[in-house]
Amino acid sequence: MEIVTKESGEVSVMELRGRLDLASGATLKEEIKNLFEKERTSIHLNLSRVEFINSSGLGALVSIMKEVRLRKGRLTLSDLASYVQEIFDITQLSHIFEIFNTEEEAVNSYQTVQAG
Amino acid sequence: MSRLERGYRVMITTVVDKISELLSQLQSPDFYEREEAVRELGNFSEDEAVAGLVLAIEDPDLGIRELAAHQLTERKGELACRLLIRFLGHDEIGARNLAAEILVKIGDDAVIPLVEECRNADADVRKFVADVLGMIKDPRAVLTLCGMLDDENLNVVCSAAEALGEIGNAEAVPALQAAMSRGDDALLPLIEALGKCGGEQTLEHLYEHLQADDPMVVFAALEAIGYIGNVAAIERLMPFLDNRDRTIAETAMMSVINIALANRGRIDYDLPLDRFKDFLFEGIRAGNKRITDFTLTRLKHWYGRDVLYSLVDVLPVVGDTERRRIMDILEDAGPIAVGCLLDRFETTDDETKLLILDVLRQNIDPGVARGLVKYINIDNPGIKQRIAHIMGISGWEEAVGHLRRMTRDDNGHVRRAAYAALGWLCREEDVDFLFEGLADPYPDVREAVMGALIVVGGMKAVDRFTQELHSAGLERQRLAVKALGMIGDSSVVAPLSEALNHPDATVRKLAIRSLGRIGQIIDEKPLLVSLSDEDSSVRKAAVSALISIKGTAAVPDIRFMLDDDDIWVRYHTVNCIGELGQREYADLIAPMLSVREDVLRIAAVKALAAMTAAEYRLQIQDMTSDKNKDVAQAAELALAELGGR
Repeated sequence: MEIVTKESGEVSVMELRGRLDLASGATLKEEIKNLFEKERTSIHLNLSRVEFINSSGLGALVSIMKEVRLRKGRLTLSDLASYVQEIFDITQLSHIFEIFNTEEEAVNSYQTVQAG
Repeated sequence: MSRLERGYRVMITTVVDKISELLSQLQSPDFYEREEAVRELGNFSEDEAVAGLVLAIEDPDLGIRELAAHQLTERKGELACRLLIRFLGHDEIGARNLAAEILVKIGDDAVIPLVEECRNADADVRKFVADVLGMIKDPRAVLTLCGMLDDENLNVVCSAAEALGEIGNAEAVPALQAAMSRGDDALLPLIEALGKCGGEQTLEHLYEHLQADDPMVVFAALEAIGYIGNVAAIERLMPFLDNRDRTIAETAMMSVINIALANRGRIDYDLPLDRFKDFLFEGIRAGNKRITDFTLTRLKHWYGRDVLYSLVDVLPVVGDTERRRIMDILEDAGPIAVGCLLDRFETTDDETKLLILDVLRQNIDPGVARGLVKYINIDNPGIKQRIAHIMGISGWEEAVGHLRRMTRDDNGHVRRAAYAALGWLCREEDVDFLFEGLADPYPDVREAVMGALIVVGGMKAVDRFTQELHSAGLERQRLAVKALGMIGDSSVVAPLSEALNHPDATVRKLAIRSLGRIGQIIDEKPLLVSLSDEDSSVRKAAVSALISIKGTAAVPDIRFMLDDDDIWVRYHTVNCIGELGQREYADLIAPMLSVREDVLRIAAVKALAAMTAAEYRLQIQDMTSDKNKDVAQAAELALAELGGR
């Protein structure tokens, strides 16, 4: 899986491309750890190009979400493809993740909270 | 006399007669006749009709008075204004107020007639003229109102000062300051007006009044300083924040708030906010937007236990935006807020409980889950669901036992949430327990169990689902194959491949789709056999899976599906080959351009465009005049993609 990271103000936006499974989940966790070291804890994951996610990939996302919250940060997701959305619905992970339709909406939501 | 002139005279006479009749009708004892007269007078622009409408604002019936007021507001015009101004001196307060209200609504058109009455012999009229000008807020009235500050009648002076304050124009400052130096009688409205009109240059003048003996003058000066909004003035307000008189201290605080808001919250003073906690939160409860905005902004730097408790307490009474801000503050406050939220949880209403749980779930903390245990038997299923969710992400080992108990709840929604939460804890030792949940009477709960097992994953779950494929009922078998596909690691490839021979077509189809997504296969033969499956949806799934696993190398395997008996299999195969975008396969697709079925011809046109197969441009061009509009449109689009005609 390819991970393209860019900064949008205080938010680190990561676009994931490919398959999110055991191996790529570990890579993603490592990338997020690097962000923590730079004290960046506002993280957005754009999943529009994630064509496949399995049990291990979901586990990685849950673990990342817990880590981010432990650090008082915020994790958002966006652009879930229909299959990924279906898995999120079946596993009810949509109840514990903040999911937006688009990356723009997600990034704007950080600005709204900060402005408030 | 010409015919036209005669006609015109007849018309004038008719109009005048009609208006006279309507004016008489206004005196009728019958409500409906008077109402009709007012309604009809509204259709005439003649002065007599306007006068009639003005008279109608004295009608004994409220409905008729309001109808006349509406007609006059719509009509506007100088005459109406001048007549209405006469009513400002009316003995009856209702008629006077209605006239003032209409003049305010008329607005711009009323300003000049009102200004011309500023020297009316009747002091009451002058006073109301000033009041109405203040409500219209037109700067053209400033000079006139400044002149009225010299009026012999104190009420007129007070009204003029208030009106100048409403207009808030700096041109009024010299006149206001001059009036203040003339005496104390109208001091309070003059100070207030100075605050609303003046800039920094008036501050020194206002500071002098902070030393006054009369507390009312001090209040007015404090308020006026707040209106001006100059940060430097806070220095002068600070001593008043410690005043023993709460009213003075709170007035000073309100002025600090106004200054802070005028400067987008950028004030660098250490304010004794703890002393004003009750005042600020009372303001929030009362819906005071300025106090709410200031308090929530300052709260980012002001966490105390008392403050956090107060924040939780106002959650039910604030609007959505403020509620979101409070929840953000509580989330930011972290552990200290968690304790306050848990303390308040028991005594608060259900709606607030739900909001509190939304904040708490942002804090991954075993202590939160532990603190919520005593509420897992609460009556409200929505609250129980959220508690289950919090336990699922809490990382608290003992949450498992409580969640297991919640899976026995009478309410299906609660059971569903509890199973999902068990899944998020990702414990392989819960697999057997979760499988028991597949016997739940509700399909939503069974699906949640499947979801939990997908998140847990691992060999044990794969083994159990593999057994389910052959031993349980059909619904469980379908659920098992779907779950295996979503667990999706290499350990599921073998059982899914085995499922290609399952007697149920849905199971076979789901197995093929999952293998396609996973992109792995042990032996492709069963998949190739599936291309001849008796069920067309299985054959379609096999085409997609082979393309997904082998890419272009699958084309030789699936090309014969272009001759399948089922039109939708053929259609699907055309689309799949087209999506590969390889020009070398254009010859396989081209024969579809001349088949009878329009859907196939459309699919072929699109596929050839995707393959950039320009050699078929002529054939596609012919199709642009097809009698079926969809075919013609698809051909036009394809031609455009291929570089035009």
